[in-house]
Amino acid sequence: MSTNASAENIQEQIVALLPRLRRFARNLVRSPHDADDMVQIAVERALLRLDQWHRDARLDSWLFKILRNAWIDEMRSRGRRARIFMPEEEGEHVGEASIDREVDRLSVESALARLPEDQRLAVSLVLVEGLAYKDAADVLEVPIGTLTSRLARGREALQAMLRLPEGDQS
Amino acid sequence: MKVSDEMLMAYADGEADDTTRTLIETAMRDDPEIARRVARHQALRRAVQGAFAGVLDEPVPQRLVAAARGAPAGNVVDLARAREGAGKRLRRWQPAAMAASLVLGLALGYLGWRGSNPLVTSNGELVAGAGLADALSTQLSSDRTPGRIATTGLSFRAKSGDYCRTFSLTGTHTNSGLACREGANWKIKVLAQLPETPSSASAFRPAASADSPAVRAAVEESIDGEPLDQAGEIAARRENWSAHTSR
Repeated sequence: MSTNASAENIQEQIVALLPRLRRFARNLVRSPHDADDMVQIAVERALLRLDQWHRDARLDSWLFKILRNAWIDEMRSRGRRARIFMPEEEGEHVGEASIDREVDRLSVESALARLPEDQRLAVSLVLVEGLAYKDAADVLEVPIGTLTSRLARGREALQAMLRLPEGDQS
Repeated sequence: MKVSDEMLMAYADGEADDTTRTLIETAMRDDPEIARRVARHQALRRAVQGAFAGVLDEPVPQRLVAAARGAPAGNVVDLARAREGAGKRLRRWQPAAMAASLVLGLALGYLGWRGSNPLVTSNGELVAGAGLADALSTQLSSDRTPGRIATTGLSFRAKSGDYCRTFSLTGTHTNSGLACREGANWKIKVLAQLPETPSSASAFRPAASADSPAVRAAVEESIDGEPLDQAGEIAARRENWSAHTSR
């Protein structure tokens, strides 16, 4: 198997994953432009480290992990300057608008923004990105038990914020 | 057998193993409360699933596609270097360099996917791309012909002796900047994003480039004397905006 051909193939797989990487980045970084910057940094890093990707691992999880680590580096170097990262108070005024069902989407997103980071990332990877528990745990580099407990607490908090109807009638 | 909430969560997420699944399904039949708790997890799952779904429908910025295909550096605006280079420059021109370079980064992010780039990096510095450079070199400030890549605003001599011009990129109406002719390049000194002004964003906005406070501050700090009038612009253009002509 030609390594060049497979490298190109992986590049196209990464291109196909860009929309999801951009979506995940919005959970990390508030501004869409900065979120895209993070995606660009992550993608460039990924290409440099293609040899570290194990073929049996999921490419999306691997990229999510690089993106998350790039974000951690970026956050350290910026020292949370300029408030471009999700401020926790943001959801507090947006959340009140949730009586209006038209802004249902917004309220889910602002509720997510109010979660502590650990829980937000667990919820985002499992419920939004659809990763299996073990893959999400791998992205976050925590044991699976830690992942499930963050997920459970995050859901509990979201449930309280979103006040979803009890049970499911649909 | 007690069924924990985490087990119900795992069941709702499709993560329960066969044994647990059978156990929970039996429990759901026997106990409506268990069934209700599972439904609650499923409802939340559905509500959260669609978060940021709009992002998936957005066109992916070209710079990201290029990065994923491993485009050689230089074809893609290198944000870090552009930011750093512009930041260094800006410090000479205006105190709020940090803020402005952040704005620059945001504007670059925006411009990055607009097809042919009006801004490119050269040796780590931000300079006008071919189209913008052509506009800066040839257009008079009175020229308001539609369809141009940019309109030019003020032209002046800087204290350094270089010719500088303010510009607004058309099509966006939210990006203005200051460029100075240094050697063969128009170096971008300031790039600012104007606040959105939907009602006034008409093609006839006069000297729009001077509207940004960041650009105006940079002009005020660097200008030597008065801005060029039309005759001055024509004379400068004849000399190809070269700083080495007599003053």
